[in-house]
Order: sequence, then structure tokens, then C-alpha cells
Amino acid sequence: MASFARRHATLLVLSAVALAAALAVRITQGPAAVDDALGKAWPLLVAVLPAMLAGLLLAGSLKQIIPPGALAQWMGAESGWRGLFVACGAGLLTPGGPMAAFPLVLVLARAGADRGALICYIVSWGLNGLQRILVWEVPLLGADFAILRLLCGLPLGILAGLIARRLPIDWTPPPGTTDGPARAPKP
Amino acid sequence: MTGGQLLLLVLALGTFGVALWRGGEPAGKRALRDTGDSIARVLPIMLVAIPMASFLSQLIPPQLAADWLGPESGMTGVLVATAVGGFIPGGPFVSFPLVLTFIKAGAGAPQMVALITAWAVLGVHRVLTWELPILGARFAVIRLISGGAMPILAGAMAQALMPFFPHALPVMR
Repeated sequence: MASFARRHATLLVLSAVALAAALAVRITQGPAAVDDALGKAWPLLVAVLPAMLAGLLLAGSLKQIIPPGALAQWMGAESGWRGLFVACGAGLLTPGGPMAAFPLVLVLARAGADRGALICYIVSWGLNGLQRILVWEVPLLGADFAILRLLCGLPLGILAGLIARRLPIDWTPPPGTTDGPARAPKP
Repeated sequence: MTGGQLLLLVLALGTFGVALWRGGEPAGKRALRDTGDSIARVLPIMLVAIPMASFLSQLIPPQLAADWLGPESGMTGVLVATAVGGFIPGGPFVSFPLVLTFIKAGAGAPQMVALITAWAVLGVHRVLTWELPILGARFAVIRLISGGAMPILAGAMAQALMPFFPHALPVMR
């Protein structure tokens, strides 16, 4: 229920901002500018839509294949560098938005994954998720830019994980709740 | 269809095939149902978000982007981009069209690398809507400290790598 409401909140907020922005464009630049902006939105949608559908199918299928238990084992407390590299790769390959990635962190943490690996995973997912790069970055900003940014992003997840292991802040995963937003991928 | 899109389609169909092969018909059905759910959730958001980004970019004075985020702005521009990126709300459907707008208005590649990194690592909206409720404040603090310097690092690295990527910008679509 909570995540359902949250999804609709996103849509409502975006609609409100879109309407406000459209109104502001109309007031400051006239109705022609509104049409102009809408005309520019269309090719963006066409550029992104086919890849997005493929990306969502990839996400849905991956969930059926990869058990989070195996990941957590590789990212365990004593996992050292290997745990960081596994986390970095898992982040790269995790498709989908925050509604999938954050609950997965919770599942991995409860299964005993190391803190540095978890931080590495979530940073690597946010920065370097391949699905997002292929769906959005390459079509809109070009392959050269996407590769440049990926090169800059790849080491950062590992670095963040190394820093996180040294921070003197305690964290234990919140205990399970029945009404939690966690919608963990099915094993 | 671009090469990247084709690659993604092949990957998706291949992964779906593996799911079918390993889990049989039930796994295939679960994968398709999950995909359908995602489409139902994401499509309405996209249909609103892309025009929204387009309207917003209409409101950004081009000169502002060129002055503050241009290739000549150097590390100051990287810092400005970090601050801007941290406050861009929403998913890639908002951030990437906005970045495209900034680029067309004359922003530099290292600055845009910093901006996307800041959006991805520091994004305030994501911390508030997902990280705090699911993982708690301490996790968010650990992650923000660990990742705080990343946008600036990424911007500096991109600046250093620029000679090897002469075609990273401009993007003309």
C-alpha cells in the first residue's frame, strides 16, 4: 500500500510541476513556445520508448534468474576486495529504478552482506546502471559522452565502499515489517 | 533503432530465454507479469515527465547554462553542477532530458559528468523517498559521507580524460 501511494505521489508531483512549467512558459513566452516545447518532447519519447520496453523485460527476467541469497554470500562480512568487485558488478547489472534497488539492499543486508559492499552496490547502481545508460544516456547524449562518464563512474563505487568500511558509524538493517515498502525480487 | 537499443533488446530477449529455460513456463509468466506491472507504472510517469523536462528547459535562460556550466567554467562549474545535480528530482526521465538541454545551451562535458554523478549519488529526492524509509537514516548518512566527494572527483577525472574524448560534446540531435 505504501509503495502504491508513493508511485502515485510521483505522478501527481510530476504532473503539477509539468502544468506549472507549461503555464510559466505560456505566460513568459506565449502559446507558440508551449507548442514548441511539446514538439521537442515527442522525439525524446520516441528515442527512449523502445529501449525502455526492452529494459523492463530485462529487469523482469533477471529477477527470475538471480537469487539474492547467492549475491549476499559473495558480499559477506569478510568478503574484502572480492565483495567490492561483486557489488560493483551487481550494481552495474541491476536494472530498474529505486523501487527495486533499495529493497534489494535491505534483503542483502539482512542476509549478512558487508556494509562496504552494500554502499558500493548502491552507488554503482545509481552511477553506472547499464540499463539506464543504454536506455537514456546513449540515445540522448551520445555514446562518446556515455563512455567518458562510465569511465569516471566505475572506480567511484569501489572507492565509496572502501570509505564506508572505515566510517565509525554503526548500522544494522531495520527489522522486517509486514507493511514495509520492501518488495524484494523473488528468489 | 541505435546499436545500444539493439544490444539491450538482444540482452532482454536472451535473459528472458534463460528464465524460461531455467524456470519453465511459470518463470516466464512471472517475468512477463513483472514487466507488465513495470510498464503500467513507468509509462504514465514518462508521458508526464518528458514534456515536463521540455517545459522546464524552455524556462532555463541558455546564457545562464553557458556561463555557469560551460567548458571554460572549470572546477567552479563542476561545483555548481554538483549543487544543481543534487537537487534534480525524479528519475532518468527528468535528469537526462535536462542535461541535453544544458548541453545544447553550451555546458561542458566534465561539468555534465559532475551533474549526473551528483544526481545519481546525492539526489535529495531519492534519499527522502526511498533510502530513509527503507534503510534508515544511519545508512543514508554513511552513504552520503562515502559518496559526498564523488561528483567533484568524477568531474575532475572527466576533465583529465577530455583530450581522449574529442567527440563527447557537442551532441546534436
